Formats: sequence, structure tokens, C-alpha cells
Amino acid sequence: MIAQNIYLMGFHSKKMALISKPGQFLMIHLVGTQMDPLLARPFSVHSIKDNDTLVILYKTVGKGTSLLSLSKEGDAISIIGPLGNGFPLPGKSQIPLLVAGGMGIAPLFFLSQLLINIKQYELKMFLGFSTSKEIVLFNELTSLGLDLSIATNDGSYGNKGLVTDILDQYLERNSHIKPMIYACGPVDMLKKVSLRAISLNLTCYVSLESQMACGLGLCQGCAIKANNTTNKPYYYVCQDGPIFLAEMIDWGSL
Amino acid sequence: MPKTPNLSVEIGGLILKNPVITASGTFGYGNELNQLINLSSLGAIIVKGLSLEPMPGNPPPRIVETPCGILNSIDLANVGIKAFIKEKLPALYKIKTPIIANIYGHSMSEYAKITEIIEDTAKIAALEVNISCPNVEKGGMAFGTDSYTAAKVTEHVKKNTTKPVIVKLTPNVTDISSIAVAVESAGAQALSVTNTILGMAVDVPTRKPKLANIIGGLSGPAIKPLALYLVYQVANRVKIPVIGLGGIMNYEDALEFLIVGATAIQIGTATFVNPKTAIEVVDGLHNYCLSKKIHTINQITGSLKEYGESNEKS
Repeated sequence: MIAQNIYLMGFHSKKMALISKPGQFLMIHLVGTQMDPLLARPFSVHSIKDNDTLVILYKTVGKGTSLLSLSKEGDAISIIGPLGNGFPLPGKSQIPLLVAGGMGIAPLFFLSQLLINIKQYELKMFLGFSTSKEIVLFNELTSLGLDLSIATNDGSYGNKGLVTDILDQYLERNSHIKPMIYACGPVDMLKKVSLRAISLNLTCYVSLESQMACGLGLCQGCAIKANNTTNKPYYYVCQDGPIFLAEMIDWGSL
Repeated sequence: MPKTPNLSVEIGGLILKNPVITASGTFGYGNELNQLINLSSLGAIIVKGLSLEPMPGNPPPRIVETPCGILNSIDLANVGIKAFIKEKLPALYKIKTPIIANIYGHSMSEYAKITEIIEDTAKIAALEVNISCPNVEKGGMAFGTDSYTAAKVTEHVKKNTTKPVIVKLTPNVTDISSIAVAVESAGAQALSVTNTILGMAVDVPTRKPKLANIIGGLSGPAIKPLALYLVYQVANRVKIPVIGLGGIMNYEDALEFLIVGATAIQIGTATFVNPKTAIEVVDGLHNYCLSKKIHTINQITGSLKEYGESNEKS
């Protein structure tokens, strides 16, 4: 546990660690609880440690995550992954901006690690939390060399308000640059970021979540309405995503 | 050296190497798990419900987990029969297991048209006729809840094919056996029992339904006792093979269905939980027969004993 109800958990698998890309996800299920909760839960890969350990970051929100948080080293766990497409990397001249709301930091941490490793981007990250007690990974992110801007809903740390407020302020002040946005967080936040990016004609990738039974394209449960301009009525988060270009999604439906 | 048990079963003239079939709607278009499991080890694969034209499916949320089960309102989202044959089926050409197409139509003529198209498709070994999906407003449930229309659909399909016809029944009726008998008389060569059970779930804080469609079909271990009872009822009324499904999670569940009269079984929701379930059930049945010295799996079908009967013989 790294903050109230927030957990970091590692799984040793060299094979999966080597092939996982930022933005991809894992379907995780505690072996022995197959009846209730019945289904595995999707978690994005938060980071890779020592080239052989997959790390996830999560907040306990229901029975599945609560049971997972109580599991101990050596417990049997089923993991299927890495699944999904992952974040496309920015081009050489593009400036990446990372925008995370709450647990949305999970996949963006992995992305920032990779971006810093590939090239010394001046990485800027906007973080939103409901309160200062939920701020996680502050030291890890600053030690990676990220320039952090933090907002909390209650104003207990950084700017009072939403992460989208501080992002908007930044974009206004820096209208001369054309950054590339990577966002993950609650759907309302993603909607705001996406609509803003679309209006400014910026490339914006969002990591979407959905109720999901299998993660493998079998059930077609994780449907997200596609934008009218596309010929596909629905995208499936597990197969077509979970990373989408902002303009691919019908944000009015969410 | 003990004799390898014979797991093969016959469904309307189609020989399956074992009685384990993947259920429609839980196995995509068949090829999604190619990397994870050996598809050729399965008894048969039933692909996602196919309609004449592509169907978008219901708006999300389409899926919600309930205790020991899943409610879904996917509504047969599919690419349509033509795109399936052209784009999805080629990936299955090398799979050495029969591919069964689950089909549904909005009208009798649509059922007939899809059947005609499938008749010309060699790789599709049999048809499973969906008259029971609870999510389609026209067709689907309307056909399956009435003996007369259920029989009519069966006749329309039978008239247009030489392939085995399996009809999948809905549990959302007062007397499933009368529909089973009507469908059998209309020429069905096997019955799949059962589809999902209508249900709903409500989010109390918002007082909204958890599914955008309000109602959905319940599947998973939550429905197993009910499905088992329906298979027991139907198998006692018809002569054609019954394929049992509803909440089978492991080989012991599968055995329960065989014991009450199923000739074969389908694995559905369990594949979401563990994509290897169907393969594990095949292995489990094999080992069970081996350890009990059962030479052929057909010996298990309908072997339910009376409560007071002696337990000495297996």
C-alpha cells in the first residue's frame, strides 16, 4: 500500500515484462476466486522493474481489487497479457504532454519511463488527485526528471481544481507549441482533454476503460461508440484500444 | 496399459472427437484464442451469432458482473454472414475441428437466406439456430418462446440445408419441453439447452439500470442449477441429442450435464474467466473416464440414478 486504498503490486514474469509496452493491459484474476468475483479485472501495466517484473498500480474500488490487495506473495494468480495496442510514441519533433487523473497515472508512468529512456524529452506531466493524501509516486516521477504540475480537487496540494484546468492554462500560455497529449483518467476528464485537443488541432491519445469480461475480443462487451465520421459503429476497448486517438471516439455518448 | 477412453459423440450425423463445444458469443469468431489454446483439441467451435447483415449491437454498458454470473446485452453484434465467410473463416481453415455457425434472422426468410449461404460454405459443418437470444426485438426471443414459430423457423432452415441443424432453446418460457418437442418434430437434429436467462441489475446510488439496454441475459455459474434442470427435462422428452450448457466451469460440471442426459456440452462464460477452460474440460473428462474405466463417454449420458439406488457400481 502506497497511499490510502492505493496499492503497487509486482508479478515476476520475464517473458511478459520484456514484451509489455506502455498503455497495454493485463487481465488479472486471483486463482481460487473463480466464482465471485467471476471475472478477471483489467489493469494497465504501470512499470517494468528489473526487466523481469510487471508492476500494476490500483485503488481498491470493489470486491475484485479488495481481494487482490489482500493477496500475499506466493498466492496463485492468473495473468493474461500484455493485451491491447499501447501508446504510439511521439515523433522526433513532437513534445509529449502527459495528463493523468487519479489512478490514470498507472500507464503514464510506464510511458514516461520509456520516453525518458529513448530520448531526453523535457517531459511535462499534469496530475490531478482528489486530495493530497492520494498523491502517489511524486518522488519517483521527479527523480525521472519530469516537470510536474499538480492539481487537487480540494486544494490540499498544488492548484485547487481539476487537472484539466492546469492543462488548459498551460496550453493557453504556450499556444506557439504543438504538443502531443497522452491522457489517462476518469472519463469526464478524458472527454474534456480530448475536446480541448480536438479544438486546438492537437494529437491526443487517451487510454479508455470499460466493463470487460474477457479482454481478448471474445465477448464484445467493452464497446465504445465510435465517432460518426468512422464506418465502424463501435470500437472494442480490448481489441481496438485501450489507446485511442481522441477524434475516434463519440464523446457525446460517454 | 488402460484403454484410451472414446470421448467421441455424434450430433445429427456429425462426429465430434469429444463432447466439448465452445458456446456462441463466448468464443468470438473462433480464431481469437489460436495463440493460447490448441483449437483442434476441441469437440467443435460455435462462432458468434451471425445475421444476414452486419449488426452493431446495443449501446454500452453491455456487460455487468453479478454474483457468480454476468449479465450481458451485447445483442448479437456481428459482422454479418458474408463478411464472416470472407474475412474470418479463412483463419479457421487449418483447424481440425468442426466449425458450427450460430445463425439468427429477423424473419423466416432471413433464416432461410443465411442457411442458403452457409450451405455453399464447405468449412461450416453444422448450424446452430438461435431462436432464443433475448436481446433482439424482432425475431430472437419471439420465435423461441412459441412452439409454432419455433417449429416454423426450424422447417425454414431444414429446407435449405443438408448440414446438421441444431436449435438453441431459450429458458425464458413456461414449458421448454413442449417447444423442444415441436422443434424436434420440425426436423431439428439436436437441441442446445440453454441460452441466457433474462435479468437486470440496478445501480442504487443513481437508480439507473446497470445495462444501457435495461435488461440482459444472465450466464455463468449462477444459472447452472436451472440449466441442468432444463436439460434434464428436455432430454427426457426428445430422442435427438441434447447439448447442455449454462454455467459449466469445469469437467465435473460437464459430467453433471451428461449424467442428466446431455450428449455434449458447451463452455460459455467460463472461457472469459479462463480461456483454457474448454481444453481443461476435455482433459478432465478423459481422465475421469480413464480412472472410472469408462470406455466410451456415451455411457455417462443419461446415467442419472435414482436417489435410493446403490452406489456400488459406477
